[in-house]
Amino acid sequence: MMVSFFDQFASPSYLGIPLIAIAIALPWVLYPTPPARWINNRLITIQGWFINRFTNQLMLPLNVGGHKWALLLASLMIFLITINMLGLLPYTFTPTTQLSLNMGFAVPLWLATVIIGMRNQPTVALGHLLPEGTPIPLIPVLIIIETISLFIRPLALGVRLTANLTAGHLLIQLIATAVFVLLPMMPTVAILTAAVLFLLTLLEVAVAMIQAYVFVLLLSLYL
Amino acid sequence: MLSRLVLVSGGLVQASRSFHQSSQSLAPVPPLPEKGGKVRHGIFPEELFTLLYPKTGVTGPYMLGTGLLLYMLSKEIYVINHETFAAASIGAVVIYGIKKFGPSVAAFADKLNEDKVAKAQEVKDQAMASLAQGIEDEKKEQWRVEGRHMLFDAKRNNVAMLLETNYRERLHMVTNEVKKRLDYQVQLQNLHRRMEQEHLVNWVEQSVIKSITPQQEKESIAKCIADLKVLAKNTQARATV
Repeated sequence: MMVSFFDQFASPSYLGIPLIAIAIALPWVLYPTPPARWINNRLITIQGWFINRFTNQLMLPLNVGGHKWALLLASLMIFLITINMLGLLPYTFTPTTQLSLNMGFAVPLWLATVIIGMRNQPTVALGHLLPEGTPIPLIPVLIIIETISLFIRPLALGVRLTANLTAGHLLIQLIATAVFVLLPMMPTVAILTAAVLFLLTLLEVAVAMIQAYVFVLLLSLYL
Repeated sequence: MLSRLVLVSGGLVQASRSFHQSSQSLAPVPPLPEKGGKVRHGIFPEELFTLLYPKTGVTGPYMLGTGLLLYMLSKEIYVINHETFAAASIGAVVIYGIKKFGPSVAAFADKLNEDKVAKAQEVKDQAMASLAQGIEDEKKEQWRVEGRHMLFDAKRNNVAMLLETNYRERLHMVTNEVKKRLDYQVQLQNLHRRMEQEHLVNWVEQSVIKSITPQQEKESIAKCIADLKVLAKNTQARATV
């Protein structure tokens, strides 16, 4: 059996039981439900504060109608952050590296925004296809271009997340292997270790990744 | 798991009682522990050390850890590969983050809770302060009520004085009027007497003048002239002397 760098991205199964369910359901365990008390312990206080703050920020550019999306977007964000941060630990499997999961998030949500926009304000939604102030001969071309960009959005959302996470994990593996192989020959190791460390901190910009994801989702809300 | 079982069984027991026979035993809710369970080196709970202390002393758990690690390495149960370095670097990042930001985050959470408590406390304090103030005001009003009779006395005196003044003014007025009437009468009588007197004097004069006969008149004039001559002589005599 050829061990390749891509084995970490295979969906885990043990004795034929797919463990992906556990991997996806795990983040739920890590956030305790706030008990019915007035003053809580530190973890729950911080958790509550963070979610509140984040949802506030997220809902700022939206009018009241868009606030219906608050629950969905906030929980999506927490879910993705947790999964990505947990994936940074060694020997873990990150579900978001699977294209299927990310497309499963991107396409339905994007389609929902489009359909809701079309249903409530069809003229405005169609009007977004044409930017303001274009010279008349360019109109047909521009409409085609805008339509293409509209349909590419879910693809972009899903693939962006997948590609970023996969690339990051792969890089960690590669550089760690390089460090491991170069260990008998000392000096280079130190430099490469530093590179790994730096890359890791950058990868904890997985959080920023999620911001980008949810925010872009938000931008496509012309509700 | 066991705690959940206990709770469920507790719930069942309570459901089998009839309603409202005794107070529910779940309230007041016991307070949460202030801090989490004690851990050493961030991961290993203190209970492990306490457990092993009687048999192996202080170094027991450390020996256990080292032995376990060496066993797993030597038997290649845990293989050192590239993931080890990834684990090492991420461990370093995590530990660095916790050490650096841990206390400040904990302090922040504590501050959030304290602010909440402080707000409620402030409400309570304000309510108490306003009630105390109300008590003070009430006491002051009661004291004021006690002094009310003095106020009434002063007012009564005022009114009495006004009445008195008014009465005296009118008395004076009356006296003045009466005096004026009486003065008038007095003047009238004086006038009468004076007129009578003048009339009498005039009549006497008239009668005297009438009674002077011409004879008497001549005699008196001659006498006057003789007197005058005597006087002149006397004066001349005095002058030459």
